Amino acid sequence: MTVLSGVVANTAKNWTFWERMKTPEDISVNGHLIDWLFAYTTYLNLFFFFLVCAGIFGFSYLYSAKKHKKAYYTHGTKKIHIIVVSVIGLSVFLGIDMNITTMSNDDYVGVFANWPKEADKPLRVEVMAQQWAWHFRYAGRDGVFNTEDDVVQLNDLRVPVGRKVLFQVVSKDVIHSLFFPNARRKVDAIPGRITRLWFELKKDGYYNIACAEMCGTYHYRMKAYLTSYNQQNFEEWMKEAEDKAIAENDRENADLYWGWPWTW
Amino acid sequence: MGDNKMTKERMGRQVTSSIAMTVVLVAFSMLFASLFLGYTVFRVTSDVWPPMGFERVDLFLPMVSTLLIALSSVSFWKFQTVFIKNGHGKKQWFSLTVFLGLAFMASQVFLWRSLHAKGIYVQDGIFPSIIYSFTWVHAAHVVLAWIALFYLVPTLKAGLNIEDYENRVFNIGKFWHFLGIVWLIMFITMFLL
Amino acid sequence: MAFYEQHIHDAPKTFLSKYIFSYDHKVIGKQFLWYGILFLGIGGLMALMIRWTLAFPGQAFPLIGNFLFPETGGVVPPDTYAMLFTMHGTIMIFYAITPILIGCFGNYLIPLMIGARDMAFPLLNMLSLHLAVLSAVLLMAGLFTPLGAAAGGWTSYPTLSTLIGSPGVGQTLWTLAIFVLGISSTMGAINYITTIITLRAPGMGYFDMPLSVWGLGLTAILNAIFLPVLGAGCLLLIFDRVFGTAFFLAGAAATTGTGDPVLFQHVFWIFGHPEVYILILPAWGIVSDLLSFFARKPAFGAKATALSMTTITILSTLVYGHHMYTTQMSPLLTQSFMTLTMTISIPSAIFFANWLGTIWKGSIRFHTPMLFSLGVVFVFGLGGLTGLYLATVTTDIYLHDTYFVVGHFHYTMAASVLLGGFAAIYFWMPKMFGVMLNEFWGKVHFWITMFGLNGVFMGMMVVGYAGMHRRLYNPFVYEFMERMIPINTFITWSAIIMGLSQIIFVVNFVYAVFFKKEKASTNPWEVGTLEWTIPSPAPHYNFKEIPIVKSGPHEYGNPKLTGDRDFQYQTEELV
Repeated sequence: MTVLSGVVANTAKNWTFWERMKTPEDISVNGHLIDWLFAYTTYLNLFFFFLVCAGIFGFSYLYSAKKHKKAYYTHGTKKIHIIVVSVIGLSVFLGIDMNITTMSNDDYVGVFANWPKEADKPLRVEVMAQQWAWHFRYAGRDGVFNTEDDVVQLNDLRVPVGRKVLFQVVSKDVIHSLFFPNARRKVDAIPGRITRLWFELKKDGYYNIACAEMCGTYHYRMKAYLTSYNQQNFEEWMKEAEDKAIAENDRENADLYWGWPWTW
Repeated sequence: MGDNKMTKERMGRQVTSSIAMTVVLVAFSMLFASLFLGYTVFRVTSDVWPPMGFERVDLFLPMVSTLLIALSSVSFWKFQTVFIKNGHGKKQWFSLTVFLGLAFMASQVFLWRSLHAKGIYVQDGIFPSIIYSFTWVHAAHVVLAWIALFYLVPTLKAGLNIEDYENRVFNIGKFWHFLGIVWLIMFITMFLL
Repeated sequence: MAFYEQHIHDAPKTFLSKYIFSYDHKVIGKQFLWYGILFLGIGGLMALMIRWTLAFPGQAFPLIGNFLFPETGGVVPPDTYAMLFTMHGTIMIFYAITPILIGCFGNYLIPLMIGARDMAFPLLNMLSLHLAVLSAVLLMAGLFTPLGAAAGGWTSYPTLSTLIGSPGVGQTLWTLAIFVLGISSTMGAINYITTIITLRAPGMGYFDMPLSVWGLGLTAILNAIFLPVLGAGCLLLIFDRVFGTAFFLAGAAATTGTGDPVLFQHVFWIFGHPEVYILILPAWGIVSDLLSFFARKPAFGAKATALSMTTITILSTLVYGHHMYTTQMSPLLTQSFMTLTMTISIPSAIFFANWLGTIWKGSIRFHTPMLFSLGVVFVFGLGGLTGLYLATVTTDIYLHDTYFVVGHFHYTMAASVLLGGFAAIYFWMPKMFGVMLNEFWGKVHFWITMFGLNGVFMGMMVVGYAGMHRRLYNPFVYEFMERMIPINTFITWSAIIMGLSQIIFVVNFVYAVFFKKEKASTNPWEVGTLEWTIPSPAPHYNFKEIPIVKSGPHEYGNPKLTGDRDFQYQTEELV
């Protein structure tokens, strides 16, 4: 209950205007890559948008009919005009676009789609979305998915800090989207195909998990919680949960076996 | 009266009409192309085809359909050549086209009934869904084109002014042949391959 | 140039042939305008209900809330909320913007600007209007079905839009309505393309056409090619819903040989990305023209602008994958879609430079249409640049399906198209209805709309960046979003102000059309394109004599001009 009261205290805080506009706190190891790229794009955009505004407002001021009686007659087909326009076109393309595309692609290939290897010993979690709840499944003591000792959590995901976590996501009914605002990730949960997502957290605490894809009337209530522990606390919790799973899981219940064998 | 000289006005109307018909056919091609795109996706991502233990569709009825629609295209083409020359036999070729169109529809109905007889229903999975839906969509267009054929009945009068009717003959003809080509592609990709 | 001469028939006399079964492109254009404005009002009201719910959850919607939602005491219920945003998106895109920009101005301007007496196929034109009306009836009928209208978002992704997610008839009617509207728009497109190719006045080459006609023509091409793709998707969805096929259905188990919900997303966005350009291209064309008309200066690099628009038209067909990054594509695909998407910025930057080049050293007259055109340049600059965040895959992973996306596409598709549409209405009002709209109230309308609109959409981008995702009935069930309540309230007040300011426009418009005595002159804006050579409003069959075109559409401020005019008509030899 201490964590819950922490949340309440949090919301009672007096936010400044600037804090209200900021992204949720970044708790993942690689989330800063996205924040950084966003900021970088923003600076470049501001520069170009400043040019556009300078054009609109500057020309409107300088060349209004009152001030500038006679327009300069040109079709913009002189060599210098074509050069200037082409330079503007290419500078946007090379200056911003190729620049951020390359960075984004490097990040994607190098980090976000660079799945944890066996050697990283990632924590594996199977996620099943349904209208309107999230189910999380840990392999349990035997390390094999879809067996009777699996730890199954409803809307309550617990992960360790400092260890890679790898998710396989699927949906039971409609398309959902598993969204970790604090880790800057999301991936769609699609019926009939497995999608993947991984992150590594650097801060422990109690955070929101959201569904980002419209999934019906109660889409807005499809909320889950992410609790991150330090290694030791996580192991303690895991042990407790595994014991509980072995003691309390109903082997006869077919609903227990919604998981799938973990491949790759 | 059978006046066949090419005025600038007549030329202009012909070109205008054929441009519009080209756009129409592009639009319809995109419709069928999207369907085939979907089919390709299912086919490529599936481990075995047909999936879920279905058997391939017996080739006999689709082949009859192919033959009928090909013949109807030929007979329409004959009708059109006779029409342009203002010659004899318009009525015969036209009636043959109408009949072959009807026969094609009948062959499609037999195809659906033979599938039903085998216990394959449209709800049973992706394979019957594709077979049924694509033939439905195509058949719906054939019905439309078949109804449009009756728009050509006035052209059967002897000794009319070709200029007044030529564009509708050309356009309906193009659409008729287009549906033949679509069926041929469907036959090759969905039944043969 | 015209391939054949269109005959002049007598003007229709009876009410039916004049207003219901009219073949006249001008009448059909006006009918589409009324149709569009009606739905703009309905869609706008829905937007206000959405905004009200977001800012004041649990409070009754003022004035009409108790009448609309008696069971909840005036509060918008969650299922109705889902219907509202679905219908808002659908109505605004397909039933407001499309009829106003493409239906109305496409019909009205193409024949007038290229010197034709009517469209190439007037009957097809009329059928296109009638199908659009039928489609609207189908769509609105959904609201009166037991389970209500479609509620799966305007993208209506399966499996939410199949029987699994929405069992009501509303979704079927929605799909059918979109299918019928697709046929209607394709008919229009066939007409526009043929008319532009075959009925240009003698002497008018493609580059002598005003850029508005370029924009509308390119739109028509995209419509004719890509609406059938959506049509195919809708057909399969209808089959899934009505006949029980399994194209988009799949179970929890990842097996092959079943349906695939993602297939619909592919089909939808193959259509959907060009659709964005279908909506914006007419506005670009109109703005390119108006900037030149009011800067009293030839359009800067008009040929380059036309070719840039063409390039964008082609590129728009190749980039749709950036809508689907979160469905997990291979890095190879994401990289190609990213790069292709970015390539669009070259032609965009070129015509932006051309727009600014047009007003550079001009002699700018700030009439209402010019203000709206400059507004388009401003908001499209913002909308275009914010697209970069969504084109790069890593930032999109965070921003996808947040309000940032909503803000971005409203800037590009809603704000710029709305402002462009208003510019066109204010500008062509004298030619359509023979009266001028009030300038003062037009300017008031512009400034309030401009501030309201930026408040709304800028606010959306701010909350989106802060992590608020789309289509939430009550976002504040998430703890981390509670800090955004004041910003949401601000957005809502901006939206209310923007919505109320449209009343100024409606009053101005209705007064001018029905009550204003003072008639407009033939050429009140002193513009040289063909439609301004004939009386206002345009007479039956437009041109008594088909004009012969001798110069380009943007001849202003030529120093060799003598006399008191600073412009040339297109029918005059270039001095």
